[in-house]
Amino acid sequence: MPSLYDKAWSPYVAGVAIGLLQIPAFLMIETALGASSSYVTVGAAIAGWIDPSLLKIDYAAKHIAANAKNLWQVALVVGIAIGAFLSMKLSGARRQPISPIWTRALGSSSPGLRYAVAFGAGFLMLLGARIADGCTSGHGLSGMAQLSVGSTVAVAAMFAGGILTATLVLRRI
Amino acid sequence: MSSVALAIATGLLMGVVFGFALEKSRVFEPGMIVGQMQLRNFIMIKVFLTAVATGALVLAALHGFGYVKLVPKAALYSADIVGGLILGAGIALAGACPGTTLAQIGVGYRDAIFTLVGGLCGALAFAYGEPWFAKSLIGTGEKIIFTDLVGIPFWQGAIALTIAIVIVLVLMERARSWRADLGADVDGNLDANSATKAHGRMAPAE
Repeated sequence: MPSLYDKAWSPYVAGVAIGLLQIPAFLMIETALGASSSYVTVGAAIAGWIDPSLLKIDYAAKHIAANAKNLWQVALVVGIAIGAFLSMKLSGARRQPISPIWTRALGSSSPGLRYAVAFGAGFLMLLGARIADGCTSGHGLSGMAQLSVGSTVAVAAMFAGGILTATLVLRRI
Repeated sequence: MSSVALAIATGLLMGVVFGFALEKSRVFEPGMIVGQMQLRNFIMIKVFLTAVATGALVLAALHGFGYVKLVPKAALYSADIVGGLILGAGIALAGACPGTTLAQIGVGYRDAIFTLVGGLCGALAFAYGEPWFAKSLIGTGEKIIFTDLVGIPFWQGAIALTIAIVIVLVLMERARSWRADLGADVDGNLDANSATKAHGRMAPAE
């Protein structure tokens, strides 16, 4: 039996737990699991303070509206950080500040380089996710479970972009 | 409790379960994500496909018995392809996706804070450019699902997808056990594994 104190569960146990989260998502929030629109909610809420003209763009205004769906997703991603923290505390799988794989993948152990790459990667990730209207959760987990044609195309493109970049830009880990 | 407060509480609780499962599966590790994209580590695809199959089965029941409406996204092919490729490049370089970035922050990966801030900036850049993107790239499309194309009920297609995924997973697991992809420090760092072994063998000779 998997225990809360384990360092690792089988991907099948963890995958079933994640898939079951669609039940409360559909029944209580009338939506599917997703993560990337919360970045627009938080990003636009902060930027709208400094530049109120941003809120004249419908897309931004729609995402910062304090409604159930927007705030549910922000709470969900905050909860992800808390859940991962609790799981790590229970198992004792403490992490270094930067994963050791990056020294090999980037060919350098400089934290500054890693931080710069991480910033750029985050930017690409969310720019791409917003263009595609979904990420690994919204298009991947939820779109494919709903047999969505567009989501399947988006997931294929995500893996293609990921495999090309990891093979051509990063070094073998 | 107001409906917004209830939604926030529900989100927090669901997120804790989500984050817990992401941490236990180790799929949030940069070593797992980069390893998957270099086709050397298969834990990510195993977690992903299991969650898709479980979701499909759950929705086959909930939708089949009429409890829920499906909410598929519109098929916008050029946006799906261009956005998906950019997102994939970001995932490889971040060693994370938008959701697992938060799990990385939770366990103390410091670079994930930069991924998060970069992500907020990327989302903001899109929000500013959205009127242009909408007109020149994204356009409009219909919410098409595969079972509508074939003309069968959703639940039948969802069950067929679940069966197909289970078969694929059984074959993948037979080819390579998930335990083989964990690494000595459960972070997908398989090289450290072999380095320790190699070092161990070399020690007496030194």
